[in-house]
Amino acid sequence: MIRGLWDSEMVAAILLAALMPVALTWLWFGGLDAAGRLVLALIVAGFWHIVFMLARAQPPSLAGAITALAVAMLAPEDLGLLRMMMGISFGAVFGELVFGGWGRNVVNPATVTLAFLGFGFPAFAWPEFVPPVAWAAIPAAVIGVAAGVMPFGVAAGAVLVAALGVLAGLDLEAVLAPAVIVLVLLVLDPVTSASSTPGRWLNGAFYAAMVILFATGWDGAAPLQMAVGAALLASLAAPTFDELATQIWVAQRRRRHGRT
Amino acid sequence: MNVMARTTGLTLDVESPDWAGGEILERITEEAAITAPDGDAPRVEMVADEGAVVATGAPVARLHDSPEVALVAPMAARVARVHLRAGRRLAEIVLFREPGGDVVRHDAGDAAAGSSDALLHLMMASGFWPRIRRRPFGRMPVAGERPLSVFVMASDTRPLAPDPLDALAGREEDFARGLGALAGLAPEGAVLCKPAGAPLAGVPKDGVRVVTTGARHPQGLAGIRIHAACPAAPDRPVWDLHAEDVADLGSLLVTGHLPQTRLVTVTGPALNETRRLRCQTGADMRALSYGAIRTGPHRILSGSALDGHPGHWLAPRHRQVTVLPAGEAAPKPHWFLAALTRWSLPRPVIPTAALDAAAGGAFPVMPMIRALSVGDDETAIRLGALSLVEEDLALVDYVTAGQPPLGDLLREMLDRVEAEVGA
Repeated sequence: MIRGLWDSEMVAAILLAALMPVALTWLWFGGLDAAGRLVLALIVAGFWHIVFMLARAQPPSLAGAITALAVAMLAPEDLGLLRMMMGISFGAVFGELVFGGWGRNVVNPATVTLAFLGFGFPAFAWPEFVPPVAWAAIPAAVIGVAAGVMPFGVAAGAVLVAALGVLAGLDLEAVLAPAVIVLVLLVLDPVTSASSTPGRWLNGAFYAAMVILFATGWDGAAPLQMAVGAALLASLAAPTFDELATQIWVAQRRRRHGRT
Repeated sequence: MNVMARTTGLTLDVESPDWAGGEILERITEEAAITAPDGDAPRVEMVADEGAVVATGAPVARLHDSPEVALVAPMAARVARVHLRAGRRLAEIVLFREPGGDVVRHDAGDAAAGSSDALLHLMMASGFWPRIRRRPFGRMPVAGERPLSVFVMASDTRPLAPDPLDALAGREEDFARGLGALAGLAPEGAVLCKPAGAPLAGVPKDGVRVVTTGARHPQGLAGIRIHAACPAAPDRPVWDLHAEDVADLGSLLVTGHLPQTRLVTVTGPALNETRRLRCQTGADMRALSYGAIRTGPHRILSGSALDGHPGHWLAPRHRQVTVLPAGEAAPKPHWFLAALTRWSLPRPVIPTAALDAAAGGAFPVMPMIRALSVGDDETAIRLGALSLVEEDLALVDYVTAGQPPLGDLLREMLDRVEAEVGA
């Protein structure tokens, strides 16, 4: 009879608030150029949300702003207006809106955009971040996890595997900062990461393992490109991890009770 | 993991004035009704017609398909109005209280001596049967059915629910006797669910398993405990009973009379005072809350603020009256604002930590939500949906503000499975 307030828009708003440390730090150091990219991304993503509201009665969501922020921060530099608009349109429409909006999508729309731009226009340089932006990603993750809108298991799994990699003496210094920023902006999305506890740990561990694999074996790629590629693979694998976790849960239950 | 499964949950802060304390008084309302338990509308044959005077515990109606199951009067009363739906399905039988203390007594000798057939017959004849909830499907059991296991709930974590241990105070002997009798009925025995550290003296050891429940909702719900300890299936029925009803059964075995009063709390944000009282089953909720309601529009619910439903009479299995303020109907929003917020499809559910906690760690919550939303009954059954009823998912609905409510989807799924099993 009484209803709580954790509907999808509230979760999106809290998620956006949690990302504020990293967004504001990036704007502070990026200046007008960064603000321009953000405004462009917001306008294009917002346009497609309005189109889907009119065509499909699918209300616009604050999640579009999260997508815009991630794209503005992570997209290759100097792409030009047309390519940027094309990439964001492709990501927002085919990554999210055609599935029925945020909450029903399979892959993070920002990840789709970045993969599209990165692989479609390989000549453009990937952005590099000043250290404070990477540091600001840590409080963003802490706020998100504490508010319950970012999955703790994913963050913990990723940190665990990254720590193991560092302990094993692998050279991860170059890739660490972009990997943390991508983790917060793309991988810790509650919708497209795994939704079961074991699945989340596997999801995070898989992301970190992919980053390590690319860092040690992918010559000629920018660190940010490696992290985005790892995020794409991790979100594609997330349903498999969930299915695996569910199967194990069912099998355990069957062993304990002889039935489900 | 086991510790996690007992502690995950949420503490809901539903506002209600502090209870002033004092003795729990008995308050028998002038009107009461025999209504169908939640989700049930059995076909009935009337025994006492409109205008007839009946004693406390006397049968007023019997089930059409199994006449041995009686629906009894909760007080000495005159049958005021009989309202049956099409097909003689029970809607409500309204009773007006009559002076006089006649009480119907049954012969409990054989049942008390340990005959389980006699016990079943006594439970059906004395009006105890409708208090039992059977899973799967969450209805009254069919006549004469023996359960695989009986869950006795001595804990209730719903917001502002009466503490079953208060209801048992001074009735430990009756409770132990009733529990022992039920344990003898079920091949896998009885399961007593009680909060940690609850002193329940004299609980029989034979055939009774004790499960400790956590303090947060939904840990003290029968569905979550059954799901964890003894999953129900169509051929493996599991009953659940409130501890107070079990004490009533113990009392029935000695005196031959089934007590018809129960401990009820009257709570809610629209009240001036919180009340705890003993009233008859099916009591008039307006009479129970009379004089305590703040001025202004309000809604009276039978059940807790989470899973209750508006009504006139206290539902057969409920022990809580919640009074919520009813705001005026919101004005119709501007068409543009409506377009910005209205969904043409069911609203998506975002997995959050609150959602995990709302399922009490009992089952993988996102796969369950997906299975129920798309009507994938097989997956839902594999995840244990047959052990659950609507109230077990009420907290998930609260957290996500889900549209359509998950409880409704679960009920539809249970009805489909029931029709299939019955066919």
